[in-house]
Amino acid sequence: MTTTDFLTRRRSMLVQATGLLAGAAGAAIVAACGGSEAPASKPAEPTKAAGAAPTTAAAKPAEPTKAPAAAEPTKAPAAAPASGGAGLITGPFDGEAKALTGAGATFPAVLYSKWFNDYNKVTQVQVNYQSIGSGGGIKAISDQTADFGATDSPMTDAQLKDAKGGDILHIPMALGAVVATYNIPGLEGTKLKLSGDVLAAIFLGTITKWNDPKIAADNAGVKLPAEDIVSVHRSDGSGTSFVFTDYLSAVSAEWKSKVGASTTVNWPGGIGGKGNEGVAGEVKQNPFSIGYVELIYAIQNKLGVASVKNKAGNWVEPTLEGVTAAAAAASGKVAPDLRVSIVEQEGEKTYPISTFTWILAYKTMTDAPKAIALTRLLWWATHDGQKLTGDLGYAPLPAEIVAKGEAMIKSIQAGGKPAFPGK
Amino acid sequence: MTGAVIASPYPVAPGLPFTDDSRYRRRRARSQAMAGLIAFAAFLGVSILWIILGYVTVKGAPALNLAFFTERPLPYGEVGGGIAPAITGSLMLLVVAAVLGVPIGIGAAIFLVEYGKGSIIEGVRFASDLVAGLPSIVVGVFVWAALVRNVIGNFSGLAGAVALAIIMVPIIIRTVEAVLNLVPHTLREAGLALGVPKWRVILGVVLPTARAGIVTGVVLSVARAGGETAPLLLTTLGNQFFNWDLGKPTGAIPIQLYNYAVAPYPDWHEKAWGAALVLILVVGVLSILTRVATRGSVR
Repeated sequence: MTTTDFLTRRRSMLVQATGLLAGAAGAAIVAACGGSEAPASKPAEPTKAAGAAPTTAAAKPAEPTKAPAAAEPTKAPAAAPASGGAGLITGPFDGEAKALTGAGATFPAVLYSKWFNDYNKVTQVQVNYQSIGSGGGIKAISDQTADFGATDSPMTDAQLKDAKGGDILHIPMALGAVVATYNIPGLEGTKLKLSGDVLAAIFLGTITKWNDPKIAADNAGVKLPAEDIVSVHRSDGSGTSFVFTDYLSAVSAEWKSKVGASTTVNWPGGIGGKGNEGVAGEVKQNPFSIGYVELIYAIQNKLGVASVKNKAGNWVEPTLEGVTAAAAAASGKVAPDLRVSIVEQEGEKTYPISTFTWILAYKTMTDAPKAIALTRLLWWATHDGQKLTGDLGYAPLPAEIVAKGEAMIKSIQAGGKPAFPGK
Repeated sequence: MTGAVIASPYPVAPGLPFTDDSRYRRRRARSQAMAGLIAFAAFLGVSILWIILGYVTVKGAPALNLAFFTERPLPYGEVGGGIAPAITGSLMLLVVAAVLGVPIGIGAAIFLVEYGKGSIIEGVRFASDLVAGLPSIVVGVFVWAALVRNVIGNFSGLAGAVALAIIMVPIIIRTVEAVLNLVPHTLREAGLALGVPKWRVILGVVLPTARAGIVTGVVLSVARAGGETAPLLLTTLGNQFFNWDLGKPTGAIPIQLYNYAVAPYPDWHEKAWGAALVLILVVGVLSILTRVATRGSVR
């Protein structure tokens, strides 16, 4: 470029230069506008779009959602827990926050994502739930980085003390079973029987082959392969890990002394997966593997689910009935704050690796609109929401727990007065 | 090329038993072999791009339909739904990150080329290279500790945009610095000789001359930031609903891709591939738009 060029073009260049920064951002904004046109046309689409889905995808839809009910030997108890609270929340409420953020357990994520999707249709409140694991949920509520947390391992006293915003309530949402799930080529349809001792030995690494005499003793007539067992566990802070190791600690002294019960377990071996879905994925991909997940993840993935020997000495499959029985057996021992472990309970039909799953909320909330929205959500979940549990492989809460939950929800305060508006 | 020197003996003395002859052939053979290897490397480098593009397209295209672009993700295990909140979320995050990061990046590059001296330049460059080399999860943890837990107080789109801006800045600094260095000094001198102040020379001569290169650097950084997952998981958390509030958790394509990919449902896996394809398309469209916008400028 010559000097003359420069003189003649100087003015336009200055204009260009000032537009430079804006230009880069402007290009992105153009793209943003182009992209945001799509959502604008959203309301009209849903029905059409569902029909437009490719046939391969459309052929499958029924399967995953139906599978739980079909594969579930005992269907959801026909009678929903008796309580007068259902049907209170029927629409939006003036003065409530329109969006809530929650984070935590992957164990109830299948249920919660269904709940919050349906709840959005009822009240238009957008409940954003991200399943980052119980450890992450406890951290998020303690730091107040989310409006509520979710966990399947009750917070410890030390954790409760560390919470930034005061007293934290454990409000039970549902019951679930942690199942030992396996992938053994050739034994797809076979239900294995794995006792607590055997499970502890497998995850300790003392039983390494599927045809180990201890496994064979409980599974007469099953042709067990002489293959190495690949154990899969959670890599993240997990309530599911807590429930499983809590159970193993209850049945195996060796497990209790060597490993113990924790959300973040010092695993003796095996491979890790993130979240319930991650463990289910690892088990699915690794032949001759065994892992532990919430029941629904095993059902949706058509993985083998082991029967476990309960305290009464019976082999029980994980069923909603067995989980409900565990909750009933433990009901006498439930602490007022509802922090309770219900593994290895008494009872003929009791499934021993059962647990409550809780939502964590502050007793005193600073944001009144959010407090109203959250208490209404919790009320809806513990009443109307219970009807959705069975189809998704979770057990509904017993009536007395619902009643205790009601008291907790009503105790949540914002600005010095109860937050729950009662409808 | 040395070829001209070696070739000269032939016309001068053809047919003589030159010892050079065999040596020449050997050299030529070796040269050709090396050239072949280099061409093969170039071919491999380019083919990786096409293999990835092709594979993602083949796997992801079946997932693309209107619902995919307009609907929210559905609950676990249900077939259907889309990634619309993630697309709008990603675009919002990238725009905000660019607004935050581009001025800083370009400013720092101008400082390095036009104003910086000796050890200061080295210091800034070194620091910027260190930031560029940081694993993105570290940036995420930093923003989580600094903004999510303290200043902002909750998971938010703004925190995510800051994390992405931190990732963008060193990329912009490096590319813009290189481009500004290419602007001939005679241009600057011509401007200064006319009595134009230095800042006006930079704004009026240097930057416009380097415009195409600067935009390329910005697009590169946006493309890089657009694909980041780790820092977003810790900062924007993710959201299955539409969100335009920077103070609230926001969805993003990489987060949605990740959620779909780790879930054990085949339909979700297909959607993960679809999301990957969309991510590539968004970056591609951005790139094309900026190319079009800078067409006709001095390159």
